[in-house]
Amino acid sequence: MFLQQLLNGLTTGSVYALIALGYTMIYGILGLINFAQGEIYMFGAFVTVLLLATGQVNFVLAFIAGMGAAGVLGVVLERVAFRPLRGFHPLVPLISAIGASIFLQSLALLLFGPNDRPFPIQFTFSSVDVAGVPVSTLQMAILAAALGFMGLLVVFVRYTRYGKAIVACALDRDTARLMGINVDRMVALTFFIGSALSGAAGILMACYYNATYPRMGLLPGLKAFSAAILGGVGNIPGAILGGLFLGMAESLGAAYISSGYKDAIAFAILILVLLIRPQGILRGRGE
Amino acid sequence: MTAYLLHLAILAGIYIILTVSLNLIIGYAGQVSLGHAAFYGIGAYASALVALHWHFPFPLAALSAMLAAGVCGMALGLPTLRLKEDYLAIVTLGFGVIMDLVFLNLEITGGPDGLAGIPSPALFGLSFRPTGRYLIIVAVAVILVLLVTWRLVESYHGRALRAIRDHEITAQVMGINTPAYKVVIFTLAAALAGLAGSLYAHYITFINPESFGLHTSILILAMVVLGGMGSIVGSVAGAVILTALPELLREFRSYQDLVYGALLVGLLILRPEGLLGKGKLSLKFLQRES
Repeated sequence: MFLQQLLNGLTTGSVYALIALGYTMIYGILGLINFAQGEIYMFGAFVTVLLLATGQVNFVLAFIAGMGAAGVLGVVLERVAFRPLRGFHPLVPLISAIGASIFLQSLALLLFGPNDRPFPIQFTFSSVDVAGVPVSTLQMAILAAALGFMGLLVVFVRYTRYGKAIVACALDRDTARLMGINVDRMVALTFFIGSALSGAAGILMACYYNATYPRMGLLPGLKAFSAAILGGVGNIPGAILGGLFLGMAESLGAAYISSGYKDAIAFAILILVLLIRPQGILRGRGE
Repeated sequence: MTAYLLHLAILAGIYIILTVSLNLIIGYAGQVSLGHAAFYGIGAYASALVALHWHFPFPLAALSAMLAAGVCGMALGLPTLRLKEDYLAIVTLGFGVIMDLVFLNLEITGGPDGLAGIPSPALFGLSFRPTGRYLIIVAVAVILVLLVTWRLVESYHGRALRAIRDHEITAQVMGINTPAYKVVIFTLAAALAGLAGSLYAHYITFINPESFGLHTSILILAMVVLGGMGSIVGSVAGAVILTALPELLREFRSYQDLVYGALLVGLLILRPEGLLGKGKLSLKFLQRES
């Protein structure tokens, strides 16, 4: 029972971590929180589900298309809702992002209707016994996919030219520009990658819960935001740890404390952590 | 038709109180709160509960609502003093989500069914149940709230708040007790939202958690931004416009949120000072000097 809950938590936690990476990367480079990340997650899931529903696209292609669409949406959002407001007090882009988030949510409601959509293809997943705990292969696949994306991101940021350019912009935008880095392009690239990861998270969750609906991004988005802050915003390993930790805490809390307050657990932990250690578990770049 | 207009006027009055109180936090003190509907809900539930169980008359129930919401506002304001912008945003938002779940799960609040049969106010045997008479109560409350906030923001304390908004460290150097101001303004704004909640509860006579969720918090925020951050007249206009707009555009009801969202983004880009924000109170202060 305990191990089972821990594993459930790890699965949702890995998805929170994927979204949290988007928050953290964008915060690292621009110093702002993209409140609409949860809606990007939802759009990624919708694109994949709609493509799969046509029956003519295979899963891998639909997955890539969903991530791509989410990424493009992120870049468009940056152009429309954030770039004109760069240099303002942080309150201004924050409210603008909230506006964008409501806009996208109601747009999805109009385009796709309020009902849950099931995931169009059923995978035949079996249950494997690991140390006496039945583990569904779906959970393992989601966990593996999420961890794989995180690994790819870490490699990208550490070892590629573009990754290093993003880090340089996050450290000091003006110096990066002097070194010949096109900062605006790096910001767009960051939005693309962060949003694509959120899109991937959305697709994985749509598959896991077998449901896609316009408001699906709201709570995961907010919880991932908490995870990013928990790990210290701007800190990539922190976001991963924060996400996994929140997922597990939520799952155990729902099982042993109260399932009615499941969605409150992440926020309660966040508030406690901020009161005791405002800079997050691992020190963020923000402070 | 007249009854309907009166109903809208009452709702607009309640939203004016909510918007003005949130504007105190955002527009004057330069802090952020994304959980304002939680205080509105605390006020509504507190007022309904004391009226239902202890048969408090309306004025006492309204006072209890303000007290309950104010205490919660102080409880949230004190520990979050150190937090800024994004952090404060997520903590207040998290507080809103938690309170929403509390209303939904507690036995005393009636869970998802909420509370029904909340008594309408009566004075010397005169019932304020008819919409026209209830409007008088709301109007009195709105005028009182506007007077208090107006006197506040035009006073020494109002200038101190704006100094904190413009530059906290400078304000501190000038001898302004910034933590005290922040806690007081949080408490006051929460208490006013509690009053709005009480007015709502005794008017509708039925409340459930749906009215006090994130959606409402964001609606109030949209009203503040539309009217202009740091403008009381603007807040009144923002509240009235966003209460009336969905009614005027009945056929477009499903586009309501779409419009709110686009409004927030578009307004910040094109006219960041809001509809009625004055030059001196405009968002120019928000532009970072670099």
